[in-house]
Amino acid sequence: MSNPIKVDIWSDVQCPWCYIGKRKFEAGAAAAGIPVEVEYHSFELAPDTPVDYEGTPVQYLSERKGFPLEQAKAMIDRVKGIASAVGLDYDYDHIHQTNTVISHELIHFAKSKGRQLEMKERLLKAYFLDGEHVGRIPDLIDIAVELGFDRDEVTEALESHRFLPDVKADMAQAREYGINGVPFFVFEGKYGVSGAQEAETFANVLTQVQSERDV
Amino acid sequence: MDAMTAPLPVINVEPEDEVRLIGLTPLGDPDAAACDGDFCAIPAHHTQVVVNRRLDDDAV
Repeated sequence: MSNPIKVDIWSDVQCPWCYIGKRKFEAGAAAAGIPVEVEYHSFELAPDTPVDYEGTPVQYLSERKGFPLEQAKAMIDRVKGIASAVGLDYDYDHIHQTNTVISHELIHFAKSKGRQLEMKERLLKAYFLDGEHVGRIPDLIDIAVELGFDRDEVTEALESHRFLPDVKADMAQAREYGINGVPFFVFEGKYGVSGAQEAETFANVLTQVQSERDV
Repeated sequence: MDAMTAPLPVINVEPEDEVRLIGLTPLGDPDAAACDGDFCAIPAHHTQVVVNRRLDDDAV
């Protein structure tokens, strides 16, 4: 078997297309039958969002972009429909819009333990499916402990912001690449793919990257 | 001030004037759905949008 193709993915925890794109990428990789090595990178879409934003995602979208509430709701309903098509039941009635910087720190903490992928999936699920809060340190600690991490160790890591430099480094790398939106996929450090592509597209990209590597 | 009340670290990123990948060869559909800033657009051509539009038009 050939060496896996390295795929670096920039993504935010409260990015609906990131979770949808994750599922489509996973389906594409499975269809292509090409082994991949995935590494997630932090990307904060809205770093000025307060941790305890009191409104709903519909209100947030309406306030931030000036859309009428009905239009914002219709947009979110469409995203829910698309998510449903890939098996994700987004629960926008219970989503806690928040600031995600500390959840990114937690993902880096998990990465330091070799369990980044598990944490990434858990946090996306927490935010979009389970109505959990992914901005508060106590809530994030509980999620980490549920996954089997040591409470004292993860508490120290998050309260000290020990992994914030790693989050900043990911953002700096994104900027060097010219990445403005997520999800964003970088294959073998050479090819850039933006957005939640169809699974077939991901499979084709992997096949192309594999074939060019084999030349 | 403890860790619970301390202000969140803020990562400042200069605004980008245009989308331009540096050192990467773009692949895939350039209009695929993505979130840019705090806005997550739905591309007009997206399958679900097409279905919804057809539903709106009573075409399905």
